[in-house]
Amino acid sequence: MALLALALCLGLTLAAPAGAAEPIKVGIVGPFTGSLAHNASEMKKGMMLALDQINGQGGVNGRPLELIFGDTSCKPANGVAAAKKLLSRDKVLVLGGGYCSSVNIATSEVANAEKTPVVVAIAISPTITNRGLKYVFRTSPNSPMFLQGINNWLAEVKKPKTVAFFMENSDYGRDGQKIWEAQCKKIGAKVLDSFYFEIGDTDFTTQISKLKQLKPDVTFNIASTTEAALIQKQAKELNFVTQWIGVGGQFTQAYFKMTGPVSEFAMGSSLEPTKAMKDPVTAAFVKAYQKKYPGSRPGIFSSQGYDNLMVIADALKRAGKLSGNLAKDRDKVRDALKATDLKLSQGAIKFGPDGQVFTVYPSVVQVQLKNCQPDTYIIYPASRAAAKYLEPTPWSKRQCK
Amino acid sequence: MESLFLQQVVNGLIVGSVYSLIAVGLTMIFGVMRISNFAHGDFSMVGAYIAVFLLAWVPGWMGWVGSLLAAAAGVGLLGILVERGVFRPLLTRWTDLDQIMVSIGLFILMENLAQLFFGATPRTLSDPFGGVTVNMGLVSTSAMRLLCFAMAMVIIIVLEVYLNRARMGVAIQATAQNRTAAQLMGININLIYAVTFALGSALAGLGGVLYGTLFAIYPTMGAIPTLKAFVVTILGGMGNIRGAIFSGFILGVAETLGGTYISMEYKHAIGFVIIILVLLIIPNGLFGRSEK
Repeated sequence: MALLALALCLGLTLAAPAGAAEPIKVGIVGPFTGSLAHNASEMKKGMMLALDQINGQGGVNGRPLELIFGDTSCKPANGVAAAKKLLSRDKVLVLGGGYCSSVNIATSEVANAEKTPVVVAIAISPTITNRGLKYVFRTSPNSPMFLQGINNWLAEVKKPKTVAFFMENSDYGRDGQKIWEAQCKKIGAKVLDSFYFEIGDTDFTTQISKLKQLKPDVTFNIASTTEAALIQKQAKELNFVTQWIGVGGQFTQAYFKMTGPVSEFAMGSSLEPTKAMKDPVTAAFVKAYQKKYPGSRPGIFSSQGYDNLMVIADALKRAGKLSGNLAKDRDKVRDALKATDLKLSQGAIKFGPDGQVFTVYPSVVQVQLKNCQPDTYIIYPASRAAAKYLEPTPWSKRQCK
Repeated sequence: MESLFLQQVVNGLIVGSVYSLIAVGLTMIFGVMRISNFAHGDFSMVGAYIAVFLLAWVPGWMGWVGSLLAAAAGVGLLGILVERGVFRPLLTRWTDLDQIMVSIGLFILMENLAQLFFGATPRTLSDPFGGVTVNMGLVSTSAMRLLCFAMAMVIIIVLEVYLNRARMGVAIQATAQNRTAAQLMGININLIYAVTFALGSALAGLGGVLYGTLFAIYPTMGAIPTLKAFVVTILGGMGNIRGAIFSGFILGVAETLGGTYISMEYKHAIGFVIIILVLLIIPNGLFGRSEK
C-alpha cells in the first residue's frame, strides 16, 4: 500500500503544462488500492478526461487545475489521514472524489471542520449530506434517490411476497437495507432473513446455500463489482434462482466480463451514460471518453468522476480571481458551489440546501441477453423503458453458457 | 429433498481442500526453515495470474491443465529466487522478528507490483466445463468445483507419497525434525532449504490457480489465503504437514457450519476463535508433537 501511495503521490500529481500560471490545487480522494481499486480507476479516468478538457481550454480563470490524489483504500481511518494530508500539507482549495460511504462520512466531516468545501462524487449513504454540514456537497444521488425507482417498481410491478437481504456490511449496504425494509413493510412483503458479508470476501456459498432454503421471491444484494459477480456465479453453482436486486453500481465492464450470461435477470438502478445517448450532453461525454480511452466504455463511475470535477471547475470559475488567502478562497468556492446550475453527463446538477444534488434521476435496469451477451436495459419507468421485465427462469432452462 | 447440512459440509470441504493445499506449503516452509512467510498467499496470487495469462493464450482444457503446471513451475522458481535472495541470508544473521518483518514487506511489495503490472481489474478464469452444474438430489455444486476438490486431493496425495517415499522427501522430513542431526547425517541443508521453499511455493501457486478458479483474481487476493493458511497451520501444529491437511478441511467445514448455525456475520471470526482456543488449550495444535 505504502509503495503504491508513494507512486500515486509522485507520479500522479498531474501538473499542467509548464510555463503557465500557478496551478489551482484540487484534492481527490478514492480507494485507489484494495478491492475497489478498479472502480476507483474508472472514476479517475472520468476525472482525467474532465481535466484534459478544462486545462485544454486554458484552465480556470487563466490558471490550470492540478489534481492531487489521496488513497483511502476504502477504510475510514486511511481516508481521514489522506484528507488531512491534502487539506493541511497540500493546501488544496477544494476536495473532490469519493467512493465508499463509510469513508466519505468521515472525510467530509474532516473537510467541514477545516472549512474546506468537499464535493463527494460517489457514495450514496444519506448521512453524508444530512448532518447539516455547510461545506459538504454531493454530485451523486443518495440512496433514497437511487432506490426510489426500484421501490415504485416493487409496489407496481413485482409485488413480492417474500424477500431476503444479502448486503455488504457497510453504510452503503445497511442504509440501503433500511430503505428497502420500510418499503417491504408498506407493500406487505415478508422479510425472511438478513445476511451480511465483508468487502473483499470471496466465498459466499454458505450464505447462498441458506438463501436457497428460504426461497425468497426477491433477494436484495447491495454489493460492489467483484463481490456481486462472485455471488451471481456461486448462485448458479448452487442452483439458486431469485430476483437479485442491487443498487446498480456493480454493473461495470469488469462485472460483465466476470459473470458472462450468469448475471441475466439481475436488477439495479442505473445512471449508465451509454443508456442515455438521446441526451446530447451525455452523448458528447461518451464520445470524448471513447476517444481518450479507445476500446473502453464509460460506466457510471467514469461519468460521476467526470461530472464531479466539472462541477468543481465551474464553481472555481464563478468564484472568480482568488485572493491567495486560503480560508477566504475556500469560503468563496463554497458559496459558488451552492449556486451550481449545470447540465452534465448524469443530467442536470443543482444542489439543495443540504448540498445534495436533487436533479439526477436513476432508472431501473435489468440485465438481459442479446446473442448471449449480457447488458443492462432500462425496464422502468415505462416512459424510459428500452425492454420489458423478465422473470428469472430456472438454471436448467437457460440456453447461454 | 435438499439438505442444508450436507450442502454446507460439501461447500466447506471444497473450500477446505484449497485451504489445505495452500497451508501445507506454509507449514512445510515453517517446519524446515522456521520461517513464518506472510507473503505465502501472494505466491498464490502470482500462480493465479500465471493461469490468467496462459488461459488467455491457450483457452479450454489444455490451458487449464497447462496453467496448473506453469503455476507450479513458475511460482516454484520464484520461491527459489526469494529463498536464495531474501530468506537464506536472514536465517543465520538475523532474528525471527526480522524474518517476519521481511516477509510482511515482501507481501506489500508483491501486492503493489501486481497492481502496477496487472492492473486492479478483477478477473476470473474461464471454466473449461462451460459452467456445468451438478445437482445430486441432496446437494448442488458445479463440475468445476468438484474438479478443484479432486485436483487438490491428488496434489496432496502425491506430496504425501513424495515426502514419505522419495529420498529427498525423507531428507526434508529429517531436517524438519532436527536440523543439526540431519546435517550430521550428511544432508545438504542448503539444498533442502531451496527444495522446501520451491515446493512450498509451488503448492501455494497451485492453490492460487484453484482459488482463482473458484473465486476471482486480483492483486490483493493473497491476503485471505495467507490468513486462512496461518489458522490452518496453527490448528494442525506448526510444521506438521498431515496436521495442515486435516486442519484445512476442519476449518473449511467449521466456517460453513458456524456461518449456518451460529452466525453468518462471524464466519471469518471462527478461524480466529479457533486460533485462540488452540493456543490456549493445545498450543502444539490438534496434530502437533510436543517440542523436545
